[in-house]
Amino acid sequence: MPLKILVTAKRVEDYESKIKVNPQGTGIVAEGLKYKINPFDEIGVEEALRLVAKHGGEVVVVSVGTKDVHEQLRHALAMGATRAVWVNHTGPMDQLGVAACLQKIVEKEKPDLCILGKQAIDDEQSQVGSYLSEWLGWSQATFASKEESLESDAEKSKTPAIKLAADGKSITVVREVDGGLQTIESPLPCVATTELRLNQPRYASLPGIMKAKSKPIEEHTPAALGVDMTPKLTVTRMAHPPARKAGIKVPDVAALVEKLKTEAKAI
Amino acid sequence: MANDRPSFMSQLCFGSIEEEQILPYPKMKDSDQEVFKNIRSSIEQLLKPHEKDFREWDAKGEMPASFIEEMKQFGLFSLLISEEHGGMGLSTTAYSRTLQELARHDGSVAVTVGAHSSIGMRGLLLFGTDEQKAKFCPKLATGEMIAAFCLTEPGAGSDAASIKTTAVQDGDDWILNGNKLWITNGGIAQFYTVFAKTGGQAERSNITAFIVTRDMEGVSTGPHEDKMGLRASNTTTVIMDNVRVPKSHVLGEVGKGFKVAMKILNSGRTGLGGGSVGVMKKMIALATKQAKERVQFGKPIAEYGLIKQKLGNMVVDCYAAESAVNMVNHFIDSGQEEYAVEAAITKVFGSEAMWRTIDEALQIAGGNGFMREFPYERALRDARINRIFEGTNDILRLFISLTAMNEVGGQLKELSASLKGIFDNPIKGFGVISDYARRRASLSTTYVKREKAKFTKLHPALAREQALFEELTGELAIAVDRVLRKHGKAIIGKQFASSRLAEMMIDLFVLASTMSRVSTAVTEKGAASVTKELEILQVLTGQVKLRVRANLAKIDENDDEFVKSLADHALDVEGYLWDNVQ
Repeated sequence: MPLKILVTAKRVEDYESKIKVNPQGTGIVAEGLKYKINPFDEIGVEEALRLVAKHGGEVVVVSVGTKDVHEQLRHALAMGATRAVWVNHTGPMDQLGVAACLQKIVEKEKPDLCILGKQAIDDEQSQVGSYLSEWLGWSQATFASKEESLESDAEKSKTPAIKLAADGKSITVVREVDGGLQTIESPLPCVATTELRLNQPRYASLPGIMKAKSKPIEEHTPAALGVDMTPKLTVTRMAHPPARKAGIKVPDVAALVEKLKTEAKAI
Repeated sequence: MANDRPSFMSQLCFGSIEEEQILPYPKMKDSDQEVFKNIRSSIEQLLKPHEKDFREWDAKGEMPASFIEEMKQFGLFSLLISEEHGGMGLSTTAYSRTLQELARHDGSVAVTVGAHSSIGMRGLLLFGTDEQKAKFCPKLATGEMIAAFCLTEPGAGSDAASIKTTAVQDGDDWILNGNKLWITNGGIAQFYTVFAKTGGQAERSNITAFIVTRDMEGVSTGPHEDKMGLRASNTTTVIMDNVRVPKSHVLGEVGKGFKVAMKILNSGRTGLGGGSVGVMKKMIALATKQAKERVQFGKPIAEYGLIKQKLGNMVVDCYAAESAVNMVNHFIDSGQEEYAVEAAITKVFGSEAMWRTIDEALQIAGGNGFMREFPYERALRDARINRIFEGTNDILRLFISLTAMNEVGGQLKELSASLKGIFDNPIKGFGVISDYARRRASLSTTYVKREKAKFTKLHPALAREQALFEELTGELAIAVDRVLRKHGKAIIGKQFASSRLAEMMIDLFVLASTMSRVSTAVTEKGAASVTKELEILQVLTGQVKLRVRANLAKIDENDDEFVKSLADHALDVEGYLWDNVQ
């Protein structure tokens, strides 16, 4: 049974970039930064592509932001996504605004399944997936992972870790929970969010990048979707973590215990 | 799309600054940028997991067939092939930038792709007929056919016209015989662009370019060469023993192969410049990290002046090289035909700036830099060939100054007839120059164009640099005139003088490109947000000023004759004569 899957492609700073907070402490310095698709979203795209390869269907990728997000949409398209939806928005936004935009797009697209990154590596909010399922009234399967390792044959053969039931009405998802894995079954439609160990995303080949150039990107605006993007969350201050102090050497165990008691107050 | 703008440097030799050629600083089209960024992140995903392998393949002197297969699947051989033929159809700018990314990860990978695209199949792209393109381009794009450029022979390196490989017509075919040496991709290629003599040995420049394919009977390759650097890239001899090549495989016109070879090399050179920039960026990243981590005398060595001096100069070199490379790529993409001098400048400056940068990064790493465990020594070995292949930097210096000066001769009407053609083949066509000195002596004033002697479009923030550039340009024009006047027809043999002029031209082109970039950045973003770039320009301008002035001074006052005399002496005794122990 063909599946229609909606995935996301948030534009985030490359984790290898050196991030600097601006002198005012209101944000980060954008100069010289490289951007990428959020790695968790990329895993979502990969999982969707595997599901569609097995069951048929289409993968629609969504992103909210300025025209810059086309780079991330094209990345997902180059990996193999069918088409893209761009919610054109300039200016600040928070997870509520993004989730609201996604809700409207889902209501238009009516996918069977949404796969989002469990979080974005920039603001680490981890909320959009859950808001989305709540507002849609769908079940959610967060932190999707799998039993097999990323070196396993299942991974090498690009087998989807999210299993679709024979009747096509539900999925089985292995979740990462404290201390182990939990297997759940959820009816479709459903919102799933991805863990790092769900899969190893493919890279887009150059022919894939060429094909992506002609795949459509449909534009929407929050206003037309009826979404108010005014953030309810304000960032009051941003700062680098304090630099770690240099360690000290102690002559013996007794001195160590003494320091742990008096200075570190750990025992 | 072609345009007949004159070479920027040849005009500069007159004292004319063709500013509309270089301002505003060229920018990649938005749509190209988007594609390029996707390419960049994919290349990262392809090559990063192989980081350890690259070191191993360097030690083994070979990259495995499975990795070459991976490169093919990825599409790395399709960069310059048009979309119509299944390729990426990248602009020169985007291609050069892509090579930069490859070189950042591994030199052998970059040269495998570069030898294929920049020179191996460039002849087909530039001179191929529609039929030839339709036949080969799709296979070259997928990597089913990898391409190699076969010019060099055991007896023919810089003197490319002295090749011994022959092609003799036999009915509708040509029969090729000869050996080609040090052919990059030789052993893994299926498509060879081969140059052969078609007029017998007597006709020096009667050379023709042929497409030879691996499946033709009589084509074989030798063992993979054991090299200093780029060890994982495949280099072999290519042997042609009575190879029957149909006449439909002739590239360009019969007898015009030398021109084909030069055109290929001219347009391929910015690829090398691009690669150099990629390596420099990587070295700066490694060196800064090293300098912050390494503690001596109680603090990170990054805090010491001599380390900062190295790092600062590395940044200036990199920015300058990047600006010049990008400028020439723009010339090519905008259809300008005259860019050979500027392209040669990017190759010379880029390869030497890269060498300095790696050398200094290695120095910052100290003893670690000498260890194979660290990336510096491999980078240094890999980089060395860049000053040798695709035209040695020495030959290119002569090429730069003689070609750029050619225009001066051509413009002097009274000399044009006698000068004509002399520089058409500056690398080897060193024929007879007219008695320029005698004729010039009859002219009372120096021939220097006075229009366009000044910039009008530079941002005022660059006023100081502008004034200096204009001044140096005037001095270059006078120097060119004076050198030609002084040496007359002997200029061809005056390599010291030619090379000195080349140094000035290299410096001035690199400075002009950098000024353009900084000026455009100031205009777009405001001086306050580009303070570092203004500092780079200030440092570069200072360096250029000292070097150009020193070279100018040496035109009349130098020790050339003593240096030559010492060289002659060494040649005579075949070595060094003096020893403290007699």
